[in-house]
Amino acid sequence: MIEFINNYVIPGLVLGSIYALGAIGVSMIFSILRFAHFAHGDLMTFGAYVAFAVVVAFGWPPVAAMPFAILGASGAALVIDRFAYRPFRRSRPIVVVIASFGVALMLRAAIMLIWGVQPEPYVEGIQTPLESLGPFRVLEKHIVIIGTAIVLVTALHLLLTRTKMGKAMRAMSDDADLARITGIGTERVIAWTWIVGAVLAAAAGVLTGIDTLLKPYMGWDLLLPLFAAAILGGLGRTYGAILGGLVIGMVEELSTYPLFSDQPLVSPGYKTGIAFAIMVIMLIWRPQGLLRGRVF
Amino acid sequence: MLAAERLVGGYGGADILKGVSVRLDPGEIVVIVGPNGAGKSTVMKAVFGLVSLREGRVTLSGEEISGLPTEQRVRLGLAYVPQERNVFVSLSVQENLEMGGFVRSTVPRAAYDRVYALFPPLAEKRRQAAGELSGGQRQMLAVGRALMVEPKILLLDEPTCGLAPRAMDEIFACIRAINREGVGILMVEQNAKQALGLAHRGYVLATGENRYTDTGAALLANREVAESFLGGGVP
Repeated sequence: MIEFINNYVIPGLVLGSIYALGAIGVSMIFSILRFAHFAHGDLMTFGAYVAFAVVVAFGWPPVAAMPFAILGASGAALVIDRFAYRPFRRSRPIVVVIASFGVALMLRAAIMLIWGVQPEPYVEGIQTPLESLGPFRVLEKHIVIIGTAIVLVTALHLLLTRTKMGKAMRAMSDDADLARITGIGTERVIAWTWIVGAVLAAAAGVLTGIDTLLKPYMGWDLLLPLFAAAILGGLGRTYGAILGGLVIGMVEELSTYPLFSDQPLVSPGYKTGIAFAIMVIMLIWRPQGLLRGRVF
Repeated sequence: MLAAERLVGGYGGADILKGVSVRLDPGEIVVIVGPNGAGKSTVMKAVFGLVSLREGRVTLSGEEISGLPTEQRVRLGLAYVPQERNVFVSLSVQENLEMGGFVRSTVPRAAYDRVYALFPPLAEKRRQAAGELSGGQRQMLAVGRALMVEPKILLLDEPTCGLAPRAMDEIFACIRAINREGVGILMVEQNAKQALGLAHRGYVLATGENRYTDTGAALLANREVAESFLGGGVP
């Protein structure tokens, strides 16, 4: 049992927390701006590398560098929106999707140019499990990842339910035309959506770097599970995206559990296929997702 | 104080409005009736800036507003309630009202109290999601949301569409109450007889043009209007 928790539940929660942070942005951008943001993963990567620059320059721990990652990614998202997406506000969604694909390529290429293509760790060395937790193999980084996710999700919840702008974001996600008619400044809401999406993406990027290594493809490789999580939870449903992220992270880890023999249920090489399978099944069986999101 | 003059335009394709003019004087209730496809809703949308106009202009208190963005029109005291999809379903009743007052830097308590006084059923459900309201309550919330900017003029697109007769009477009573507070009301209504009954003036539109313009009572008494547009003879 303890082995099961150590090998599957803890890694599942860690991965799920990261997926949840990324999926929230994907889901919000989809419901407010009406397009699938293909550059979201690379925005995560960008945040992760901004933090890397700070870690290298000042020798700070990566968590302390996270605010810089957040600032950098938010600024980048606003600039990208202004020049790559805003000209297409009235175009069909597929046009913006392709634009975001182009942005993804440019961001990744820029990251490779600036920081190189070699995988890099934030901090050299191996962490040992925390002794205070007895038989449970919990590393300090696991606490950092799950803790950061909890703090950010709580902050997001307060933003969406207590502030005027947060409520306007929910209103616009409900019905953008009605928001406009009501007099809600929709461009301001869009800007805040980018900031919130980028904050969570940058954090998820840094956390991924803390968990494993920094690689120029780290975010792009996460795009599939992020979309799967957003769809599983129901597009436009913030809490659905959190749930979807946790479920996908957990299922991916559990898929390698040796249930029937001493062999893993699914070979670890196919882990990412799990997210894809869940996405396909959801789109066929329940496209509105678990929490009744939008269907287009 | 609100005037739309010789509007020509539509949604990008063929013109739906072919020279319609509509006017609303301070404190009036003005009703637009006419058969399907007459362009009734389109006139409202044009006044609110949701239609691309090729000709004509809209003025508010003498100032032209034809080119202004929607947000600006709301600030100037126009509020529009569309026929469908007129509440934010996943927001609570209270949050819907708060969004209604979005353009104001602060929304005074009194603005909420006024709406809850006008529509007591909403007060009981202020924490509930708007999607859970009945049809009549939804319509009340849609009107309430529009009142949060304390508009000078309220544009209502078929406020009683799809409602049961009792809910319909309630909405008409509320419209009268709002008007008594000095809010001008421009309304499109399918329920022509009842609507003209409370209107100071009415317009009958057909195929994107003005057909008849008169006081509500005179239009109701007009045999031709009754036969062609109100579905039946004079009572």
